[in-house]
Amino acid sequence: MQHAIPYRTWVPGWTAGEPRPPANVSGEEPIAGAGAVRAMVLENAVVVFGRRGCCMCHVLKRLLLGHGVNPPVFQVDEDGEAAVAEELSKVNTSNHVKKGGGIDINGNESSNKVQFPVVFVGGKVFGGLERVMATHISGELVPILKEAGALWL
Amino acid sequence: MSMNSTSAQFVTSGRMGAYEPIHQMSMWGETFKSNGNLSAPAPIIVEEDVKLNDQSEDTSNGILGPSERYYQEVTTKPADKVQRRLAQNREAARKSRLRKKAYVQQLETSRLKLIQLEQELERARKQGLYVGGGGLDANPLGVSGTANSGIAAFEMEYGHWVEEQNRLICELRTALHAHISDVELRMLVDSGMSHYFDLFRMKATAAKADVFYVMSGMWKTSAERFFLWIGGFRPSELLKVLYDTNIIIDVLGPHLEPLTDQQLLDVYNLRQSCQQAEDALSQGMEKLQQTLAETVAAGQLGEGSYIPQMGTAMEKLEALVSFLNQADHLRQETLQQMSRILTTRQAARGLLAMGEYFQRLWALSSLWATRPREPA
Repeated sequence: MQHAIPYRTWVPGWTAGEPRPPANVSGEEPIAGAGAVRAMVLENAVVVFGRRGCCMCHVLKRLLLGHGVNPPVFQVDEDGEAAVAEELSKVNTSNHVKKGGGIDINGNESSNKVQFPVVFVGGKVFGGLERVMATHISGELVPILKEAGALWL
Repeated sequence: MSMNSTSAQFVTSGRMGAYEPIHQMSMWGETFKSNGNLSAPAPIIVEEDVKLNDQSEDTSNGILGPSERYYQEVTTKPADKVQRRLAQNREAARKSRLRKKAYVQQLETSRLKLIQLEQELERARKQGLYVGGGGLDANPLGVSGTANSGIAAFEMEYGHWVEEQNRLICELRTALHAHISDVELRMLVDSGMSHYFDLFRMKATAAKADVFYVMSGMWKTSAERFFLWIGGFRPSELLKVLYDTNIIIDVLGPHLEPLTDQQLLDVYNLRQSCQQAEDALSQGMEKLQQTLAETVAAGQLGEGSYIPQMGTAMEKLEALVSFLNQADHLRQETLQQMSRILTTRQAARGLLAMGEYFQRLWALSSLWATRPREPA
């Protein structure tokens, strides 16, 4: 059974009192406003954040679709980029016990700075395309997705 | 006295610099010999004569060292003429030194270029490219000149890489036929793997210098370029080669080691994952092509002004570097996973098979380039 909710029609918890996405949405995908970011991360098993027009996001999406996962892909505007990155980093921090530390994209202990495109799995930062590719090839990705509830098999 | 050493490069220019007195005298003599003015054997006599005929001489020939100044005091030359002559000499000497410096620098640069070209030629011949014909048609030194020392450096490094690769393959072949321990074989396997990873690192650096160059595969042989995918080999193709020809079927070797069922399953899964990752990257590239085309075509085509489009397009091109890096990353991960699945001996055979596969492609390129052609 596949968890396949088309991202275009799926609306995150906007109605739960979170700020609506900015009005300057010209593309089909909703633009992530900093305030709504936390909700998106927590409410989705898998979610992708990337810059507007980023082709790597496309690659990420294809890879995940191949596993039967159809994550929402949120595009970040240039103006909102810093704010969203900040917000995502905070989400990252709150999930770790260690103060000031965290796991960055490459799995190293470092600052919580987030780089786009970034994938969140199970409410935690997972990494960029490199990590997804590596775990995809090594076979570690599927168990991780299952554990996060993104896959039911 | 070495009459020829220091003056050799100046004979043609006919000018002399003021160096040490000994050299002055030797060059003095040389100049006179070449000018045919005087054939006096003893330099001192020559200088004395020249001083007397001072007005008719070219100023550059008036070299006055300490010995000559002594003579000056003895003779009745006015002091200011001497001073003027001295100043002119210093000026001439200074100019000569500058010219010499520039010339030497030119020589050094040319020498370096020559070494680079020779190495490139060597490498091209080894790979069998038709030298002097179309094989080196994208010589970065010729096309971009000094714009790309990064690419020139890459070309040189790649030449070394190929040599080392040939050596490693030989070593593997010998080791597999001999009875070396698993530990030693493991070291060879690790060397072989590291060697590929070195290439990916080199490519990443070169991509920063010129991503188009790396993407185009101009540094590879022609047959390799036929199979090119995002600046390198297609990992799934390589797996197919190994799967079909070597790992499974090679049961006739001295060390009978067929794959276990688990290994077969793992290899199958790897082939699937690899193919999926390739497809994802290919689709991403297509999207990049599409958006780049749209960016370039944006605005009124035909008006003749397109600066804003260029700015946006340049930003898009940055993504090309990412794609190359991700593709190489996929190649690396695939190789590593293969090495995890296989035993040491199997991995050694796999590396040998892979290495020889590329050597055959190089040979094919060479054969093709040198095949007999119909006269035009």
